[in-house]
Amino acid sequence: MLPSRRQLLARCGAGIGSLALADLLGRQGLLAADAKPAADPNPLAPKKSHFAAKAKAVIWIFVNGGHSQVDTWDYKPELIKMDGKPLPNFDKTTGFFPGQVGPLMKSPFAWKQHGESGKWVSSLFPHLSKHVDQMAFIHSLWTDSNNHSPALFMMNTGVPRMGLPSVGAWVTYGLGSENENLPGFVVMSDPKGRGLPKGHTLNWTNGFLPGALQGTWLKPQGEPIDNLKRAADTTAAEQKSSIDLMTRLNKLKEPTAADRDLEARIKSFELAYRMQEVAPEVMDISKENKETQELYGVGRKECDHFAKQCLTARRMVEKGVRFVQIYSGGMDNQLSWDGHIDIQGNHQGFADETDRPVAALLSDLKSKGLLDSTLVVWAGEFGRLPISQPGAKPGRDHNPHANTVWLAGGGVKGGVSYGETDEVGFKAAVDKVDTHDFHATLLHLLGMEHEKLTYLHNGRRYRLTDVAGKVVKKVVA
Amino acid sequence: MKHVVALAFVALVVSPLVAADPPRPPVPADHAAAMAASQVVFKDTVREFVVKNCLECHGGEKTKSGFNMVSREKMLEGGDRGPAVVPGKGKESRLVKLVARTEEPHMPPGKDAKAVSKEMVDALTEWIDLGAAFDKPLKETANTVKKPLTVTEKDKQYWAYRPLNATAPPAVQNKEWAKNPVDAFVLANLEAAKLTPAADADKRTLIRRVTFDLTGLPPTVDEVQKFLDDKDANAFEKVVDRLLASDAYGERWGRHWLDPARYAESHGFEHDYFRPHAYHYRDFVIKALNADMPYDQFVKWQLAGDELAPTDPQALAATGFLGAGVFPTQITNREAERIRYDSMDDMLSTTGHTFLALTVGCARCHDHKYDPIPTRDYYRLLSAFTTTVRSEVDLDLSSPEQKVAYVDWEERRKAVEWEVKVYEGEELTKGFVKWLGDGSERLTAIEQIKDLKVATGLKALVTEKKKFADLPKAQRDLILKWYAPQDAGWKERAAKLADVDKQKPALNKVTIQATTEGRKPMRHHTADGSIPDFYPKTFELKRGDTEQKVGEVSVGVLQVLARKPEAGWMAEKPTTAGTSFRRTSLANWMTDTKDGAGSLAARVMVNRLWHHHFGRGIVSTLNDFGFQADPPTHPELLEWLANDLVANGWKLKRVHKLLVTSRTYQLSGTATADALKADPDNRLWHHRPKRRLEAEAVRDNWLAVSGQLDPKMYGPGEANEAMKRRSIYFRIQRSQMIPSLQVFDWPDSLTSAAARPVTTTAPQALFFLNNPHVRTAANAWAATLKPFADKNPADAVERAYLMAFGRPPTKDESAIGVEFIAGKGDKGLQGYTLALFGLNEFVYVD
Repeated sequence: MLPSRRQLLARCGAGIGSLALADLLGRQGLLAADAKPAADPNPLAPKKSHFAAKAKAVIWIFVNGGHSQVDTWDYKPELIKMDGKPLPNFDKTTGFFPGQVGPLMKSPFAWKQHGESGKWVSSLFPHLSKHVDQMAFIHSLWTDSNNHSPALFMMNTGVPRMGLPSVGAWVTYGLGSENENLPGFVVMSDPKGRGLPKGHTLNWTNGFLPGALQGTWLKPQGEPIDNLKRAADTTAAEQKSSIDLMTRLNKLKEPTAADRDLEARIKSFELAYRMQEVAPEVMDISKENKETQELYGVGRKECDHFAKQCLTARRMVEKGVRFVQIYSGGMDNQLSWDGHIDIQGNHQGFADETDRPVAALLSDLKSKGLLDSTLVVWAGEFGRLPISQPGAKPGRDHNPHANTVWLAGGGVKGGVSYGETDEVGFKAAVDKVDTHDFHATLLHLLGMEHEKLTYLHNGRRYRLTDVAGKVVKKVVA
Repeated sequence: MKHVVALAFVALVVSPLVAADPPRPPVPADHAAAMAASQVVFKDTVREFVVKNCLECHGGEKTKSGFNMVSREKMLEGGDRGPAVVPGKGKESRLVKLVARTEEPHMPPGKDAKAVSKEMVDALTEWIDLGAAFDKPLKETANTVKKPLTVTEKDKQYWAYRPLNATAPPAVQNKEWAKNPVDAFVLANLEAAKLTPAADADKRTLIRRVTFDLTGLPPTVDEVQKFLDDKDANAFEKVVDRLLASDAYGERWGRHWLDPARYAESHGFEHDYFRPHAYHYRDFVIKALNADMPYDQFVKWQLAGDELAPTDPQALAATGFLGAGVFPTQITNREAERIRYDSMDDMLSTTGHTFLALTVGCARCHDHKYDPIPTRDYYRLLSAFTTTVRSEVDLDLSSPEQKVAYVDWEERRKAVEWEVKVYEGEELTKGFVKWLGDGSERLTAIEQIKDLKVATGLKALVTEKKKFADLPKAQRDLILKWYAPQDAGWKERAAKLADVDKQKPALNKVTIQATTEGRKPMRHHTADGSIPDFYPKTFELKRGDTEQKVGEVSVGVLQVLARKPEAGWMAEKPTTAGTSFRRTSLANWMTDTKDGAGSLAARVMVNRLWHHHFGRGIVSTLNDFGFQADPPTHPELLEWLANDLVANGWKLKRVHKLLVTSRTYQLSGTATADALKADPDNRLWHHRPKRRLEAEAVRDNWLAVSGQLDPKMYGPGEANEAMKRRSIYFRIQRSQMIPSLQVFDWPDSLTSAAARPVTTTAPQALFFLNNPHVRTAANAWAATLKPFADKNPADAVERAYLMAFGRPPTKDESAIGVEFIAGKGDKGLQGYTLALFGLNEFVYVD
């Protein structure tokens, strides 16, 4: 290519460079999820999806640390038979600890069939197993990394490195938010002092997307949202009079035609004032009746915290929040689903924390007529090995080759199982699904074409699905 | 243009003028990753299929229908029937139609040929959709090798790459208007467009504007008054000189520099380990700017200070630039080499963006798509960092006086210590024997001794009447040690020694995180430590893949910015040096304005200065001057400024002064009607728009106005958000960014940042309403206003306006203020000061 031509192309582009940024954002919007008015630079303004779809909101239960597929949803009778035998040709660097490679180990849990679909589920989920006919399972998901933070970044952002926009940010970018008084994308982490997921807040970053699209992390300790609570020594009336004072004074200095931002800034204070009322109200689960609270397991020792988070998630989705992610478990091995030691005890504990609340979430969404428009996702960063990690109480090491996830609600075909692992559940074998495919499917269920949800950054048009991704149509109703 | 105001939880508006990047033509999706994905499909299925089924007839030896599939290039040439493969259009490609048997002749041909499976057709389609990549030609022949990108003389003549052009300020009609050459360039364009510039800003506006721009702080009430009272023609110049000489200048402009330098103090990734000695780089930047270090030296030290000034700790600290990027600490051996290339890429890409506004990193996997940067140039440049690693270097920075004092002290101590030793030799034993006597008076004391060896020894002396000299040496020593504090002679001498120890003079020993060679590297956090810190050779990689090494490369420069044989920049490694001097070679080229990259480096830097003074660069894409850049609005002015910088010893303060003393800088914010209509985006600079302060300046402003700002400079970063020092002294931990700064568009410090975006969001409003640090500041400020309010509420209002906005209130403002605070006591004042912090005028500077 001749430089003159390149230069010419560049100049053509840059000629348009004289347009105001509002126009640029408008164009970004046009190129993203359908059109919003070119002059509206608000990245959270509600937007139409590319095509009609049922799901309008997402609640993602992030199974942090990586649950074992062969102990939860992926029934492997052959693994029972081969218990204690070595796994032939096993590359010992597959997991994280190359020096702790045991033989194949059957699941310590009992398995039973459930629902009309006859889905096999382990004894870990007595409540969730009642909902299998609403769930679509993907058993053949695989990822690149055998290490937590790259795998978390992959699951959350589509690349195994830090810093790119997360799924929640992309979805909120594509669809905007339905409620101007609440964040569009909310994240809840472990409230029991067990820490954040590895990679910390970069798991819900906006990356290069506008800052407004960053996940709002409801802090488990102290005030959940920074600066949301009015100071103790100030009454609402006093604050209102301060804001009125600001507005009066600001308006005395009539902005010139060139000062385009100032009017918006004045309004932002009025909005902030309202948010102080609306946001805590949504987070206040005491507004729910006792029956509902009990359904979720509020007050039960094993699952009180997760019950409250699931109930909060439902209240948020009800009020128009677009994307909620709840992390089950904290940072270090035994403090999350990362069952290197004692897989039985570890998984039993975390299943007890989540089983009842998530099942209740499905029931509750359904009875409120919200399940059709809410996509519920159960997924972690990777699966676990069918061989044991030896010890007094054996565990299981990381496995990038196989991971089971399920979807339920908005637009999902219930009672379906897609893809298969090999006979012992080690590797995805049939209809393999990679992370991009999974992301493409999520976007599809929300009415977005993953190739069209793009954002121009440093001269490149980025997508959540990079240059790959195939929608898993068989899980779509 | 009327703004549509949308209210949402977070962002409302992105300022149109200070946006990150202007629109660019869409880049097709055939970038690195597309091709990589296509290549995977090729390797997995397509290659085998083509080799088995196609190559015999379409492989060069036989080329039926003129269609050759031996390489991507040949394949894309198509055959007698035209193109067979159109990258990105799998279904439409003839190849797919023939193989899928939807078009004739069906392929592969032959009576017995079975239809190709649907999976294979899908794979072919996907492969073409993604770009139809090959990993390598199916046969190596002379004509299958892709021609590398050649850099032409024409490329070298591109406005950013050519040598500096001497431009003269243009002639203008309104000669009176232009205060200095900068104005001539601006006015010439305005006159050509027949636009009238805005009127001049008043003195109050001016001192507020320039004080924020040069120091990031508001002018004090006294500073404003002094300027108003100074009727000298050069009164403004005096203000500018004072500000440029202040320490706050380096803190303000140092922070601007840290944006492209992606400066942070932690590793990032899994553990995000803190780097306790990284702050020396931040301090170097502040000190260098305050000392007006010539910019070429500033650049060179950041690349190779350890080689260029090996005895200067500041030069060592400067190399912190290269190592400020992320560094994964938990990696497996499998990833090690790729991650080393990632680390070197971070150094090179940041170097490219920061000094040269070049997107060099784009050439890692293929020749640059737009700019004349062949992949080979990338790897040759990359090899400058082959042996470069982060190291923590222990240094003694004590002054000569400190060192002399220390040696003196050591001598004195030795003498006193000697006295003690001598006494302990004989005198102490004598003293002990005397003290013990026949032992009869010491029995009670002995009973209480806990040390068994001492006790039995003493008992032996007393009860068995043993002689002290007959006890074993070890026991004698123990007994003497126990006895010593009861011996007057010993006590006296020991006290003397303790006195001397108290006088121990301080030495200034520090550990600096540098980026250098031949020292102990900072390591990946891995279990077995078998991962190399670096690989001794750098290779050119095909498609950025460490599995596809093309050949070893030696350090070189970018051809497009080289006008003489590159040997001219190559530094010879001194025989005693512990480093390779490859980075010195790079630095030599980087600052050579005649034949190397120096002309571009100068353009890029004056453009950064312009951007921060005016709100938008002459080239708005601060970090990209390549063919995709937004072209300069005032190319001759850019050229003139760059020339001026170089011709005057690369002194940045001189350029600052030139810019802020221009009339263009001193215009008011109210555009004339004709100009606003013809040029609403102010590309010709007919007025000076309001600008929102950056995150640091917003915070420093409320700290300063409230009288709480702690001026302490330098040293380790502060992790506590309640600290009162300037915001540049926050500790920057990548996973725990400072919320007060993040809310105002703080950069993420992961990659080189260009212009910061400006958003207006509800969380910002919540911050001003409820944030405890802001409220503390508002209360502190209210306390300083109280004496005025006690006298007369109007006095307090006036004082508040002078402090916060550098001007007295208008009559209306005064009345509203008085009405608000009247009768409410402290609470009224506190509510009032908080409200003033929230005003537009507090964060937007005219």
